[in-house]
Parts: sequence; structure tokens; C-alpha cells
Amino acid sequence: MAKEVTLDCMGEACPVPLIKTENALKKLTVGDMLIVQIDHSCAMKNVPEWARKEGHNVEIEEVDDGEWEIFIEKTK
Amino acid sequence: MDIKNNKFYQMWFKNAWTYVTGAILLSLFQIVTLATTNDPWGVSGPFANWGAWLYQAVGGSVDKWYYFSSKGAQATLSGGFMNDPGSIRNLGIIVGALFATLMASQFKFKKIKSLKQVIAAILGGLLMGYGARIGFGCNIGALYSGIASLSVSGWVFALFLFLGATVGSKLLVKYFM
Repeated sequence: MAKEVTLDCMGEACPVPLIKTENALKKLTVGDMLIVQIDHSCAMKNVPEWARKEGHNVEIEEVDDGEWEIFIEKTK
Repeated sequence: MDIKNNKFYQMWFKNAWTYVTGAILLSLFQIVTLATTNDPWGVSGPFANWGAWLYQAVGGSVDKWYYFSSKGAQATLSGGFMNDPGSIRNLGIIVGALFATLMASQFKFKKIKSLKQVIAAILGGLLMGYGARIGFGCNIGALYSGIASLSVSGWVFALFLFLGATVGSKLLVKYFM
């Protein structure tokens, strides 16, 4: 059964969201979904960039003014 | 039609510009800056002047300070904020960044997460400010403008900036994660 995990990175600046995402994704298994909540526009660029390079499925949703949720499905 | 779906609104204001676009614009404005003010672009230098003006406003004097002892520095200080191109430019950066984030409707007051974050921010700011002045420049004045002026010092700065960032990242992971 695939899990869904939320990672709160609100108020964190680079590179903290990216490192937290890397660490959180390590603990998940293939098929799991990680939802990273951010309000730092640079993280909106480097977190998806890293996750896509690693080969995961990534979607970004703008949930409010200056707030985003990055959906990362672990694929390997 | 909703402006949010307008192609030009998204292209100009909503989506981040590419690194190449940014690099070309920075280069063009560096040339404009050098041509009009006779100085390459710098950011942290004017902040030292702001500090001096604030100190003078509460009755302090920096006349005897070595840092402000040159004729040029004294002229800038007595000329005031409105006659200092660097100060006006820094103000422009702040106002421009605010404008950009408002246009993209991404403005937000961010919550402070922890006391640790406050201490790290204050400590980081002090170290960066001190380092930038003792090193006669920050990323912009010493690195970017240094390299753009074909100066070896810019490349030396780059090497040690890289070393410092490496050590800083290790400390961040160790104490902040």
C-alpha cells in the first residue's frame, strides 16, 4: 500500500527544503508520495529540478499567494 | 479574459525568467552602471554608508574611522543618500523585488520558525556584512564586478567563496537539519 507523507518546509530558505526533501525521500519506498510544502520561490525551482533529475514524477501546485505544494512520486 | 491566463502576463510577471536572460540583463546593466557612474556594480559598500548615516543621525561621528578616511568616502558621506548612485541602486533593488513579487502575486509575510533560525540569520548577516567590508566587496563588488573587470582578485574571491560555501553547507547540515 503506497503511503502519502507531508513535509512542512514553510518558512525555510535554501538549501534547507532541498536537503529535507532528499532525506525524507530516502525513507520512503517506491510508489510512495511525498508532498513538500514551501513558501520560498527558489525552492520551487531547485526541489523539482533535483527530483526530476533523479527520475521521480513531479507536480507543482500553487496553493496560495507565495505558497506551493510539490508532489513527488518516488519511482525508484 | 482572466489576466492569470494571459500569455504575456505569465511570460513577463508570473514565470521565473531563465538564467540566460538574467545573465544577459545583468551584463547589460553592469555596462550601463560602469559607463554612467564610473564604478562597477557593488551592493554591500552602500550599506556601510547607510550605517554611517544612521550613526550620524543619532549624533555619532565617523570622521576618524579608517574605513571612511579617504577623500572619496568623505565626499560620498557628505553628499548624502540622494547623491550616492549605489544607495539609489540598492533602494531600486528592494523596490523592484517587491514589485516583481507583487506582480506575480507571490508576496507573503513568512513566519519565523524557531529561535535557532533567528540566531542563525543574525549571525549569518553579521558575518556576511563584516566579511564583505573587510574583503572590500561581496558577491557582486568583489566577485562579479571583479571578474568582469578582468581582475585576478575576482577569481581568488571565487575560490574562497566556494570553500566557504562548502564549509557553511556542512555546518548547516550538521546543526540545522
